[in-house]
Amino acid sequence: MSDAMIEGYARALFEVARAEGTLDEVEDELFRFARSYESSDSLRAALTDEHIPAEKRQAIVEDLLGGKTTTTTIQLVSMVVGSGRSRDIPAIVDSLVARASSAKQLDVAEVRTAVALTDDQRARLKAALENATGKSINLKTVVDPSVVGGVVATIGDTVIDDTVRTRIEQLKSRL
Amino acid sequence: MSLYTAATLAAGRLFPSAEEIPFDDQGYTTVDPILPPWKELIPGSLASIIVFSLLYWKAGPIIKKSFRDRTAGVQKQLDDSAAAKAAAEADAVRIREAKGDIEAERARLFAEADAQAEALLADGRARLDVEMAELEARAEADIGAAAGRGTDELRAEIARHSGVAVDRIIRDTLDDAAQQDLIETFIARVGASTGASS
Repeated sequence: MSDAMIEGYARALFEVARAEGTLDEVEDELFRFARSYESSDSLRAALTDEHIPAEKRQAIVEDLLGGKTTTTTIQLVSMVVGSGRSRDIPAIVDSLVARASSAKQLDVAEVRTAVALTDDQRARLKAALENATGKSINLKTVVDPSVVGGVVATIGDTVIDDTVRTRIEQLKSRL
Repeated sequence: MSLYTAATLAAGRLFPSAEEIPFDDQGYTTVDPILPPWKELIPGSLASIIVFSLLYWKAGPIIKKSFRDRTAGVQKQLDDSAAAKAAAEADAVRIREAKGDIEAERARLFAEADAQAEALLADGRARLDVEMAELEARAEADIGAAAGRGTDELRAEIARHSGVAVDRIIRDTLDDAAQQDLIETFIARVGASTGASS
C-alpha cells in the first residue's frame, strides 16, 4: 500500500477515535493489537488469507478483541480488515500513533519488556524517559518475550537498550 | 672362231688340263710348293686384279660411304657421350653443391632444433620451478587456511554451544523477581540520566 493510502487510513481512524472521545484508549489498544499482529504468525496468516471471507476475518477480530478493548477499536480494526488492508495494520497504527502524539505534542516511546509493566512502573518509566530525553512522552508498552528480560525503549531515532537479549547477543559475539 | 671358242682356247692355255699336271704316287703336285705354276698364277692374278678392281670400282664407294657413315655415327655417339658426360658432370657438380647445401641446411636445422630444445627445456624448468613454488605456497596457504578454518569452526561451535547454554541458563534463572529487578534497574538508570543514550 502506498504511503498516501496508509496516511489516509490513519487519518480516518484518528478522526473517528477523536470524534468518539476515546483517542487515548483506542490509540493504545490499536498499538497493542498491531504489535500482537506483528509477533503472531497465525494471526497474520488468518487476517491476510484471501481465501477466508472478509466477514469471517472480521469475526476473528471481534472474537479476539471482544471484551478486552473498546467497541471503537474493534470497529476500526474490523473496518481495516474488511477492506482487505490487514497487511498494513502495523503501518496504519504507527501512523495513527504518530499523528495522535503529534497532536498532543508528544514523542512516541515504544517500550518492550518480557513481562507486563504495572501502572506504577509505566508512570515511573514515562517520567524517567521524559527526564532522560527532555521530551514529553507518549508511552507505548509492548510485551515481547524475545527480549528475555530487561527493557528496550525507542524514542524516535534514540534507542535505550538494557535487555538480556542484547547482553546475550553481545556475549555470543564476544565468544 | 667364236668368242666362246677363243675363250676356251685361251683358258686351255692358261689352265692346263689334269693330264698336264705332274702326278706321282702321292697325287698331283706343283713344281713350287709355295707359288702355283705360272699358268695358274698369271690368270689367277689377273682375275684377282679384275675382281678387286671391280670391287674397288663398284663396292669401294659404298664401303667408303658406309665407313664414313659409321665414322660419322661413331663420332656422333662420341659427341653425344661427351655431351652426356658434360651434362652428367654438371649434374654431379650441382648435386654436390646441393648436397653441400643440404648438409649445411641440415646442420643449421640441427643447430636450430638444439637451440630451441635447450630454450624449451630451460623455459620448462623455469616454469616448473615457478609452478612448484606456487604449489608449495598454495599448499601452505591451504594448510594454514584449513587450520584456521578448523580453529574458527571449533571456536564458532564452542561459541554456539556456549550461547545456547547461556541462553538456557539465563531464561531458567530469570524468574519474576529477576524480571522486576531488571525493569526497576532500567527505570532507575534512565531516570538518573539527563541526556539520551543509545
